[in-house]
Amino acid sequence: MPFLAAEPITTLVPSISEGILWAIGASPFAAFVVIALSYRWFPKIAGYLAILGVGAAMVLAYVTLFNVIDADGGIAQYTHEWFRAGSLVVNLGVRVDGLTAIMLVAVTTVSFLVQVYSTGYMAGDPGIGRYFAYMCLFTTAMLGLVLADNLFMLFIFWELVGLSSYLLIGFWYHRPAAAAAAKKAFIVTRVGDLGLLAAILLIWTRTPTHTFDIATIQQVAANHQVAQWVITWFALGVLAGAIGKSAQFPLHVWLPDAMEGPTPVSALIHAATMVVAGVYLVARFFPVFEASPDARQVVAWVGAITAIMAACIALVQTDFKRVLAYSTISQLGYMMLALGAFGYAAAIFHLFTNAFFKALLFLGSGSVNHSTNTFDMRKMGGLRKAMPITFWTFVIASLSLAGIFPLAGFWSKDEILLDAWRDNRALWAAAFAGAFLTAFYMFRAIFLTFFGDYKGGEPVDHHDPENHFHGDPAHPHESPWSMAGPLLVLAVPAVAVGWFAYRDAFADFVNGALPAVEESGSSFEWGIAISSTIVALAGIGLAYAVYYKEWVTSKSLREGFAPLTILFENKFYLDRLYEDFFVRTVLQRGWNRLLELNDKYVVDGIVNGTGQLGRELSQRLRIVQNGQLQTYGLGFAAGVIILVLAVFTANPL
Amino acid sequence: MELTILTFLPTAAAAVIMVLPERLEQRARWVALAGSLATLVLSIVLFFQFDHGASGFQFTERRKWVDIGSFNLQYGLGVDGLSLPLVVLTTFLTVASTLVSFSITMRPRLYFAMLMLLSTSVLGVFMSLDFILFFLFWELELFPMFLLISIWGSGRKEYSATKFVLYTIAGSAFMLVGILVLAFSANTFDIEVLGRSNFVDTIIPLRWVFLFLFIGFAVKLPIVPLHTWLPDAHSDAPTAVSVMLAGVLLKMGGYGIIRIGVTILPGVADDYGIWFAAIGAISILYGAFVTLRQTDLKRLIAYSSVSHMGLVLLGIGALGKTSMIGATYQMLAHGVITGLLFVMVGLMYERTHTREIARLGGLARQMPLITAGMVFAGFASLGLPALPGFIAEVTVFLGSFQKYEWAVLMGIFGVVLSAGYILWTLQRTVFGPVRAEWDSVTDQNTWWEHSVVLGLVAAIILLGVYPALMMDVIGPAFDPIVARLGS
Repeated sequence: MPFLAAEPITTLVPSISEGILWAIGASPFAAFVVIALSYRWFPKIAGYLAILGVGAAMVLAYVTLFNVIDADGGIAQYTHEWFRAGSLVVNLGVRVDGLTAIMLVAVTTVSFLVQVYSTGYMAGDPGIGRYFAYMCLFTTAMLGLVLADNLFMLFIFWELVGLSSYLLIGFWYHRPAAAAAAKKAFIVTRVGDLGLLAAILLIWTRTPTHTFDIATIQQVAANHQVAQWVITWFALGVLAGAIGKSAQFPLHVWLPDAMEGPTPVSALIHAATMVVAGVYLVARFFPVFEASPDARQVVAWVGAITAIMAACIALVQTDFKRVLAYSTISQLGYMMLALGAFGYAAAIFHLFTNAFFKALLFLGSGSVNHSTNTFDMRKMGGLRKAMPITFWTFVIASLSLAGIFPLAGFWSKDEILLDAWRDNRALWAAAFAGAFLTAFYMFRAIFLTFFGDYKGGEPVDHHDPENHFHGDPAHPHESPWSMAGPLLVLAVPAVAVGWFAYRDAFADFVNGALPAVEESGSSFEWGIAISSTIVALAGIGLAYAVYYKEWVTSKSLREGFAPLTILFENKFYLDRLYEDFFVRTVLQRGWNRLLELNDKYVVDGIVNGTGQLGRELSQRLRIVQNGQLQTYGLGFAAGVIILVLAVFTANPL
Repeated sequence: MELTILTFLPTAAAAVIMVLPERLEQRARWVALAGSLATLVLSIVLFFQFDHGASGFQFTERRKWVDIGSFNLQYGLGVDGLSLPLVVLTTFLTVASTLVSFSITMRPRLYFAMLMLLSTSVLGVFMSLDFILFFLFWELELFPMFLLISIWGSGRKEYSATKFVLYTIAGSAFMLVGILVLAFSANTFDIEVLGRSNFVDTIIPLRWVFLFLFIGFAVKLPIVPLHTWLPDAHSDAPTAVSVMLAGVLLKMGGYGIIRIGVTILPGVADDYGIWFAAIGAISILYGAFVTLRQTDLKRLIAYSSVSHMGLVLLGIGALGKTSMIGATYQMLAHGVITGLLFVMVGLMYERTHTREIARLGGLARQMPLITAGMVFAGFASLGLPALPGFIAEVTVFLGSFQKYEWAVLMGIFGVVLSAGYILWTLQRTVFGPVRAEWDSVTDQNTWWEHSVVLGLVAAIILLGVYPALMMDVIGPAFDPIVARLGS
């Protein structure tokens, strides 16, 4: 198999036809259109249409993957002109290479399984047609994002992904928390998008050929055909966009709130696919970051800070899904850290493995919610007997995430630790500490949820007309096969996709997307592997001691670390700073109000004052208009004399 | 002859409406619809007959009008790549305005006649080739607007109508001075000839002449700080008038700056360019900040228009081909998008009788279709990609970045602010807990409401996914201007 052969990068071009590439995006889009037009009358078939549309895309994505494998990770690109305005020429085009192929497969596979799962999870919801329409729209946008061959088109799908995320977070729009979270997600990510937009403006203006083409921009940066400050600012702008989309510090605040959306949405969009778009973007422009050491440093430290900070917050969450949300942020931080430490392949590898085990974790939490009607871990416990499939798949995914040999997460996390070690010991220390925290908070969640005694879940409120919960939370049960099936299927890649690390096959494959690759040595070292395994086991052991055996109570632990735990529980006070202080106080009550008052009193004051003045003046001028022709004549003559004098003074003869 | 027919078809409809006997007065809307549809069809036919690659005026017609010595006035009409898209926008929005007015039963003859007259006056402004004719059409528009706002409006309608008229007239007084100085020093009122002439300072320096012209147009656009008539006029105007006002009347300002200011006095425009960019950027931000404070839906959209029109001025100020195409595209985009926003708010208002955001909420349950339209229009307005607002925005930014980096960097903050005010508005009006108060209201439910919403949505999507349709027409119109700027 050429995929496993560690051959040098060749310049083979994949023979994949353009039609197939467009069809990958078009099939979920077609499903979106058909569902959107039909769901008012046929809501029941929406789920099947979505499965069909996404399934077709998945098949084509695998066809593409094997085609690119045959070409040893070469690049194929097809471009057409879309419109032009003066020197601005905008193209629409698709590009496929190793990175694209990996993304296509991850996105379509997870999306397909999530659609299947959703037919069970969302059954009975009155908005189910709308739900699947949005899901297909999202899948289309995400596929467009990874297929785009130029920055302009990438930005379009980037924003459309944001739109579908907004619609899905706010899917239960009658809940104030959901409506607020949707808005927050869109606006916060848009703050990052400002940077991306500015980067696009800058690079288009400064490249000699005025282009958006990704390959050209990569080369321009790698060959330093533009000034260094342009490269650095472009890279930082791209990073700003990535920070927003991939929920990195300091714009991570939207992602935990996004958990207000239905859980399959969280699994697909806010864990496995959309949130990795930022990582994908930085990876896409990796040569630019290589050309700018400053920007690369910023990437690494943003990632490191995010990884640690989010892991700390995850330690104190009581909401099952929020633990996973902060875990996602933390893992995305790992990927960024890797990119900043020259670990391009490691970052994408972790992106790939994370997509599967993180989706599995979220779907598992949805399965728990489906039977207990709550995400509050204080109301759960002992679910391992009632929900064996959910329990075992969840444990597998958690072990994978914690980085236990030989599961998928072990391989990808190890590569990141290794790259960090080689680049900067401080980065490695941050990643190493993060590994401990990860293992601890995941197993804390497992012990609280699946072990001990069941605490009854959340009773169903039958007076709430919006509640569509079926079943009895007092007697938890395993979820239906439409939901348990995808859990079992996802458990396979959560275990096995790490094995593509064998003989650097994965790295060689994705490296084909770059113009040039520096050889960084082997991707495995015993020291790193053993130390990371020990630290992960230590985290699990501590969780076991505190939450299962209760040798040390969590209460005394919390009090022992008092100032820190309070800081963590308040999410470092960042939400308060942004919303209460900046938006509500500084902007709305201060600055915006000032401008509004300026309009009301200053501008309109002048306008109305002028009107008033006019009225008063006309009262006085009435005296002049006395109807006596002699007076008018006098005035007329005086006027003419003044005009003549004026003209002659201005233009002397 | 085609352009004369196009311009006066609505007037003919108005005439027919006015002579309708009283017992048929409720049929006035059908006459108006027929007239506006015919105008739309004719404009679309002309659009496709137009030679898309060419610059300069086409379908021109000129007739002697007043001929006294050097005072030569003519009746001259023509369209080029700049005006033709705006003409189609006007005829299209006239149909939309007529349809949203179908529920008007109070004095329908006068109402629809005025609406048609309004259409003629705007079409005349966009097609006039003679300075005085241009000015007459420009002023003619005030008459129907005053009546439409002060009779069929709401709230402080007389105040708002008067404010609107006085603001415009104050601006036009300056404009007229500018027009006369230019015409007399070039000895012609022909806009096409003036566009090829070179001017030197006379008793009044050219900088002043330009400024006078600019004030007249800037009031209309509007720019900060000449904008406070707009929120008042919008909030008190009936829906159709808001659609026309935001959709096409504001564009007269942008059109005037390009057609009269930049084309005739390119050198002076170049000197002022930096000020345009600054005022444009300030308008974008100022408008957006104040939008965030609004509690009335129509005032909110009005202020967002100030912000969006700032982008037009920024694009013009950069004086590049790309940036000016972007500015023109922004006028088209804003026309259809804000038109749809006002239609949606109008439908909501007709049912709830309030535009107070605090009183609304949770309408998605009772009005799913109106909500869908509102969400679509909102996202179009905040510049969602592959919709025309985005295309225009990015084109202006790209075209202006090299020349005025700082102004563009200020302007792109509008992108976040617009997301803020649009999404916050959606959250407070259509999302959130359902209110029992609105349980009895209906959703969008008449054929004319469905067709106007669908038509606008289709137009927005078309302009968003197929920008080349208009850009290829607009582009060549700027070649002569850019050539004159370069020399």
